[in-house]
Amino acid sequence: MAWNTIDRNEPVVDADASPVLSEAVCEKIKTFFPKYPTKRAVLLPALHIIQHEQGHVSWQAMIEVAELLEIKPSDVFDTISFYTHFWTKPQGEKVVTVCRSISCELLGGREVLAACKEHLGIGEHQTTPDGKYSLAVEECLAGCDHAPCLIINERMHKRVKPEQVPALLADAGNADHGLPRSDLFDPPVATNGSDEDVIDATSDVAEMKDSN
Amino acid sequence: MTNTAGHDLPYQNMAKITIDNREIECRDGVPVLQAALEAGWDVPHYCYHPGLSVVASCRLCLMEMQLPHPKTGEMGWAPKLFPSCQTPVKDGMVVRFDSPPVEQNQKACMEYFLLNHPLDCPVCDQAGECYLQDYSYKFGEATSRMHDQKQVNPKKDIGPKTLLYSDRCVMCSRCVRFADEVAGTGELCIVNRGGRAEIDVFPGIPLDNPMQGNVVDICPVGALLDKEFLFDQRVWFLKSGDSICAGCSTGCAIRVDQNDDKVHRLKPRFNPGVNDWWMCDEGRFGWKYIHDPKRVTHPKLRRGAETETPAWESVDEIVTYRFEQQAAKHGGEKLAVLLSPMMACEEAWLLAKFFRAVAPEATIATGFVPTVEEDQFFPVGSDAENAKFVIRREKCPNRRGIELVVEHFGGNTCDFETFVTRAGEGTFEAVWAVGGYPDAWVPKPLATAMAKIELLVVQDIFENELTAEAELLLPACAWVERDGSFVNHAGLIQPFERAIGVPEGAKRDGQYLFAAAGFEGLYSGERVRELMAEEMDAFREIAEAPKKPAHQH
Repeated sequence: MAWNTIDRNEPVVDADASPVLSEAVCEKIKTFFPKYPTKRAVLLPALHIIQHEQGHVSWQAMIEVAELLEIKPSDVFDTISFYTHFWTKPQGEKVVTVCRSISCELLGGREVLAACKEHLGIGEHQTTPDGKYSLAVEECLAGCDHAPCLIINERMHKRVKPEQVPALLADAGNADHGLPRSDLFDPPVATNGSDEDVIDATSDVAEMKDSN
Repeated sequence: MTNTAGHDLPYQNMAKITIDNREIECRDGVPVLQAALEAGWDVPHYCYHPGLSVVASCRLCLMEMQLPHPKTGEMGWAPKLFPSCQTPVKDGMVVRFDSPPVEQNQKACMEYFLLNHPLDCPVCDQAGECYLQDYSYKFGEATSRMHDQKQVNPKKDIGPKTLLYSDRCVMCSRCVRFADEVAGTGELCIVNRGGRAEIDVFPGIPLDNPMQGNVVDICPVGALLDKEFLFDQRVWFLKSGDSICAGCSTGCAIRVDQNDDKVHRLKPRFNPGVNDWWMCDEGRFGWKYIHDPKRVTHPKLRRGAETETPAWESVDEIVTYRFEQQAAKHGGEKLAVLLSPMMACEEAWLLAKFFRAVAPEATIATGFVPTVEEDQFFPVGSDAENAKFVIRREKCPNRRGIELVVEHFGGNTCDFETFVTRAGEGTFEAVWAVGGYPDAWVPKPLATAMAKIELLVVQDIFENELTAEAELLLPACAWVERDGSFVNHAGLIQPFERAIGVPEGAKRDGQYLFAAAGFEGLYSGERVRELMAEEMDAFREIAEAPKKPAHQH
């Protein structure tokens, strides 16, 4: 077409390429089949498994998981494009996700984001040339009572001040969850209550008032 | 009115409901929206389509409903609005669409749908048949309060035949549900769900299935457009004829949209139990041959090495004279006529009548029936039992109709294979063979046998091995240029009307066959059906059916 049109007829996947999903990943996905009434319902755990193993979910992985779950690749594309925590492109070793929704914005989230950009030297949804860090923004990290917050990989950092950002990013343990990674959809792991990085189930208004 | 208004499917249970203080009778259990539409209300709706599952996502059809008060049990208007597409009819229910809350909701919805709409109607193909235009005019506001920049989604080439203008989309998801539920191929999806949602396909797996043209029909706005019709014609210049698709024996009801005797597109018409709301791409795009410059447009008479174009007025005299001459010379059993399943029943009846008038022993044979391997069932993976749509293996519209006519005349009859064999044995000396197929059809043994006989009249749309041997070649017209009736695979007689005129020089088949069969005046399918009904029971009902008013051109 003469005007600006995105061509969706062009394949993004090499049909002859060897599978990207390893035998182990496929087996792990299959262990979820008995837990759900349909194979289609296993899509979310499957995407988690793939992203955990590979760092992102590629186009080819989407086609392969669609085949595994007996759904259409378009169904996978539909689902994956809804969840911003699934990445379709390779990310840096650590992904810094900054909240830009209202609570964080009011309490200085914008400055935190600016500090991250300045310190890493990259813009939103970009990766540093050395592949160490990617910077993402999200609408809400579900930590409004600890705003402003950011997540590095799976660890939440609460009440971040812009001047703390360089130290936070330099800290080698900044992505440590502090807990073993939950095996997906298993019973929640009991917390000892002392680890302050673990967010309590209820909002602590008094704590929030104290800290500000 | 919508395409679904006023159909009469056999439903056992009827219910009485009150809409806007008017009591109506409707089928029990159908959505209130469907009942209202059928009773003549113009309730705005985008996501609801009677042939697809209900998602109640557009929120445009919301209504007020009376419910019992939770404490007193007294009936009163519930404080919230209900989606009429998702609320089934229940006997005695009271709803209304004419209240301020309903109208306020319609206004708010329309404002929302137009928030990011580019308002590029002057260059949009849908303009003139667009539900955004219609509903804005009827239910919306003239202005938008949004002063921010519009979110502009990209145009996407999502398949070989379809373009998607995401910026015009209202996210009704009809197309996605069609691909999932009717075509069964599921190429379409919604990506980036939320404020930036758009329709998409998986890159490299484009919308390319034999039913995909329907997504353009069901798109209520100008988001999904047919590449072949793109910038082809403003829809208000199109005039339509109600026809029946000649592509296969399913017999889909279609609308032929034309301007100046040029067909621009075919669209399906609602035809419950036959094609419902759909048609296949084979039929939808398979009409191109009717404007092929290589078509036979003039009668050709061969005298020795010379060819001349006889005057149409003399054609019936020529055929009568020549066939009578042959009957006298060789005997009536040497005469044969091959009735093509591309012909309408009326034309076949007229031609058969002509032959039996010339020679009662003449053979009436069923013509060549083009077929492919097997029927195609949709959704993909369904079978004859549960299919929602079938593309039949028989690639002609009227085999059953021709068989009806052949059976009616009785006497010497045979099928195509037998005809070819017997022709090869030299059984016939004078034959009138009818073709009319868009593709090559003449089997070699037939052409060889026909080359040897004394008189061959061929009625065909394209020149081929058989027309080369013809003493008299008569142009067969495409079905959109004719009127009559086809009998589909299930034996349903479906009349179709003429949509365009014949090419210059040609004459409608029905007209010259009418004259040859000894009738005077103008041919019309309806008139011949009345004559047929006198001797054929099968046509009695259709001939006595109430006459449709002449189509407004």
